[in-house]
Amino acid sequence: MSESTAPLVEMLGIVREYGKVQALGGVDLAVQPGEIVTLLGDNGAGKSTLIKILSGADRPTSGEIRIRGNAMRFRSTRDAIALGIETIYQDSALVEQLSIGRNLFLGREPSKSRGPVHWMDRTQMDQVTEELLKRVGISKKLSAHTPITALSGGERQAIAIARAMYFEADLIVLDEPTNNLGVEETHGVLRFIREAREAGRSCVFITHNMHHAFQVADRAVVLRLGKKVADIPRSEMTVERIERIIMGLEDGEAVASVG
Amino acid sequence: MTCLETLRRIVDRVLAVRESIPLVLLIASSLGFYLVSPAFLSPMNLSNMFAFIPELGIIALGMTMLLTAGVFDLSVGAVFAFAPLLTYTIVNQVGIPLELAMLVGFAAAMLIGLINGLLVTKVGISSFLVTLGMMLVVRGLGLYMSAGYPQKTLGGDPIIQTLLVGTVTIGPVTIYAGLLWFIGLAVFLHFLLRRARFGNWVLATGGNGKSARARGINTDAVTIRLFVFMSFLASFAGLISATRVGSAYPIAGDGYELETIAMAVVGGTSLFGGRGTIIGTVIGVILIRSIRNGIILIGVPGLAYNMFVGIIILVAMSVQALLERRNAS
Repeated sequence: MSESTAPLVEMLGIVREYGKVQALGGVDLAVQPGEIVTLLGDNGAGKSTLIKILSGADRPTSGEIRIRGNAMRFRSTRDAIALGIETIYQDSALVEQLSIGRNLFLGREPSKSRGPVHWMDRTQMDQVTEELLKRVGISKKLSAHTPITALSGGERQAIAIARAMYFEADLIVLDEPTNNLGVEETHGVLRFIREAREAGRSCVFITHNMHHAFQVADRAVVLRLGKKVADIPRSEMTVERIERIIMGLEDGEAVASVG
Repeated sequence: MTCLETLRRIVDRVLAVRESIPLVLLIASSLGFYLVSPAFLSPMNLSNMFAFIPELGIIALGMTMLLTAGVFDLSVGAVFAFAPLLTYTIVNQVGIPLELAMLVGFAAAMLIGLINGLLVTKVGISSFLVTLGMMLVVRGLGLYMSAGYPQKTLGGDPIIQTLLVGTVTIGPVTIYAGLLWFIGLAVFLHFLLRRARFGNWVLATGGNGKSARARGINTDAVTIRLFVFMSFLASFAGLISATRVGSAYPIAGDGYELETIAMAVVGGTSLFGGRGTIIGTVIGVILIRSIRNGIILIGVPGLAYNMFVGIIILVAMSVQALLERRNAS
């Protein structure tokens, strides 16, 4: 990556305090266009807090977020979504009572009417939904009107991913996307992450599974007790080394400065 | 054997539609009333029955939207009494024309709804407590303002009178303006909930507010708008009622909050948000009103009315719960 290109997303000195508890103590994170970064760390390391700030769901106590070199302030997830940051949460964040189509377009339902009431363009919604279901490879015959309750965990994850694909997010943030998924479903998610990179998108994903991280990530960032302790490129990643850093047995900063 | 299986499949498909339970109950109870007293289905009785439907029905429609968004409003009965009382007090004592006084009544009601909505979303108190408190405040305000006396509502502008309580007679059937308002609102809200972006947001707000917010939906704004709309509907229904009976009573609409919630829930709308059906509510409204009408016709003392409504609610809820458990397994 040449030095002149601004990173897609740059988080600088992010601090998040909850009362006296410091969840994040000045974390920097940069993601280049077309790069996949895995965010690793033990429970309570601050991964989820960092992701929430990146997705606009939480605000930092101090620190700055830059998108393509411009400082931005997210007031809500809506702001982050408008800037091309899509977040897929652990529980996949779908509304169970709604159909697949209604979930895919939730918050951005297409509408042709110009009056005071925005009627949904249901033909378009159904069409796009059927196409997307094929694209993410849900083999079972599902229609746009199938309720989410009828889907498996992997299928739900696939729907959330399809949503990020359709709305052409520049950065897709995934919070433990392979959690609770079967083998085949996990492969589907990892395949999608690779496809997203090929399409020029960036990804940040949290995982506890080192093997999944190694299969797709270009770079690993390790958090420990609210601080970034390592930032390692693909070529220098080994499972043993990262596990030692996560547990605090090895000094990650030294590794980072070498890399 | 195959015949039985086909029948079973048909029954399964019918029961999969939430509105079918109240519809079956409505048909069964109507048939029962008709067998005991054929006058139940006479044009005169039907038009009489439907004359009373809109006032509670309009509130039940708004309640369905609120329940779908995961909240409810116990202050609707108080607003139902307060808004027309305020309107006609201004007309009778200050001498302001009815049109203007109506706007004041609506504005006051919508302010009440706005306060409800703000307390629920921004202060974070449950809608049960907020609207219970608001019910007492508004009911007390109406009683204090009127010293317990009703306001006469006759002699208003004939155009407004016609719009609110006018009638159209077609043969033996008399249709009241209120019924047309109810039908119009029901059709509009049905499509709003099913086909409009806002309807999708209402369902998502009640179904999984966290997810809805993550998708960038301002769930607070959705909830506040619904509370304002609910109070407006309650005041509108109250105005129709007060104008029809000739007086605005400070104690009108007592108990309407629970009766309208019952109508919506019997119709298939969930008490816990995320599932709502306007068609079901319309059936629920007709069902509960027809029971009130029917038990009097067949000679059961009117005082036993609540008992029958209670039984209907318990039966409808039990069938729904049993079906859901069966579908889950």
